[in-house]
Amino acid sequence: MKNQYDIVVIGAGPAGSIAARTTAQAGLSTLLLEKRQEIGSPVRCGEAAGKETVEKFLPLDSKWIAAEIETFSLTNPQGDYVVLPPLEHTLVLERKIFDRELAHSAAKAGAEVMVKARVTDLIKSARGIEGVRINVQGKRHDVRAKIVIGADGTESQSPRWAGLKSIPQLKDYYTAAQYLMTDIDVDPRICQYHIGWSLAPGGYAWVFPKGDKQANVGLAMGVDPKEQHTAIDYLNEFVAARYPHSSILSQVVGGIPITNVLPQMVTDGYMAVGDAAHQSDPMTAGGITNGMHGGLFAGEVAIETIRQGDTSAKFLKKYEERWEAEFGKLYRRLHRIRHALLKVPEEKISRMIHDASKLDAQQMSLKDIFMIVMKSHPPMLLEVAPYFLGQ
Amino acid sequence: MSTQTIDVAFPAVQVDYDQCSYCGACVAVCPPDCITLHDATLVIDHDACTRCQRCIPACPTGALTIEQRP
Repeated sequence: MKNQYDIVVIGAGPAGSIAARTTAQAGLSTLLLEKRQEIGSPVRCGEAAGKETVEKFLPLDSKWIAAEIETFSLTNPQGDYVVLPPLEHTLVLERKIFDRELAHSAAKAGAEVMVKARVTDLIKSARGIEGVRINVQGKRHDVRAKIVIGADGTESQSPRWAGLKSIPQLKDYYTAAQYLMTDIDVDPRICQYHIGWSLAPGGYAWVFPKGDKQANVGLAMGVDPKEQHTAIDYLNEFVAARYPHSSILSQVVGGIPITNVLPQMVTDGYMAVGDAAHQSDPMTAGGITNGMHGGLFAGEVAIETIRQGDTSAKFLKKYEERWEAEFGKLYRRLHRIRHALLKVPEEKISRMIHDASKLDAQQMSLKDIFMIVMKSHPPMLLEVAPYFLGQ
Repeated sequence: MSTQTIDVAFPAVQVDYDQCSYCGACVAVCPPDCITLHDATLVIDHDACTRCQRCIPACPTGALTIEQRP
């Protein structure tokens, strides 16, 4: 480890590794820091991601692909379900291996990777962020950087230290729990979403197959101070009712901001990416490929910044602009849809799924299904239809 | 049994370490940034804590409480 780099990236998840790889590939000296002792562990994610998008970032490799998904289903609490026509080919990843491969690709591109390196603060001056203070196995170091990229995840502190407003409102926060279950009888080609407020208040449950009779079974719920039960409680109920004979191999929990991205993702000498910038999508909280895009955009802007010799927030705003061009409209829509859905009583959602389950979905387009189902529910149509019609 | 003086008007957030998974869900929603997560420790700075209680419902496992001990 040197005392000075062009780029220091905090956090070796997908967003951080892609950012580091991007800048290292351009020949910038890059340090990628991971506070944990093992990259990719513990997994805190449903692990599903779009196949084509993943492939843009890393050549597909069976060692980190747990399952190839053909389609999705929506299930109501009564057990009626509709299998949707294929939207996008989806993979369920083995994040432990996938994350490590991504960090490996950053290292191969020339980035220096360090684990067990915890950032304790940012180095600041009147000109902005100028580096990081780190603790490596009890020893403190100051590392200077022209640009610091914060990819330190949902529990990140670097955006706050940089002065960004990063505390999510509770109405836009999921509290979530997931089990990796084995000996579970699920269709290995279908990712299941379960919707119903009694099942997961303000959120949803998921069953994402991982092949070999395994699946990620998880649940995300909205945060409500009046709620008496936790995400784990609801997940236990969900699992007990559906998979009483399956075993639990691991448990993960966590919180996910679904606010839409930070109003400001940059400051002088600093950019936030991935979950640190709230880049998970504001409806499902899916965030793997979204964060990778954030990392790519930030990395590319960092390269330009250093070539131009201007690391000011004004220049770094190009990163926010790229994000906006790619995801701005979609994210605002997803955020609106979620809040529109929250106002719909469970019975109505259940009935819509029930109605749709009677249709022969495989013979219809997604648009047809939604038009039929939404006809019975005009207010939803206004919010949801444009999304599904691809506007 | 020993008696303990508890500030009833301003009780502190308690962590049940048997239930805590060190996931950081509470860290993200803490306005004064008074919760710190290390590998397997969750530290609450009770002086900085404003008792806003946002962390409590954000916890996926119910590890945080603000009820005083009897």
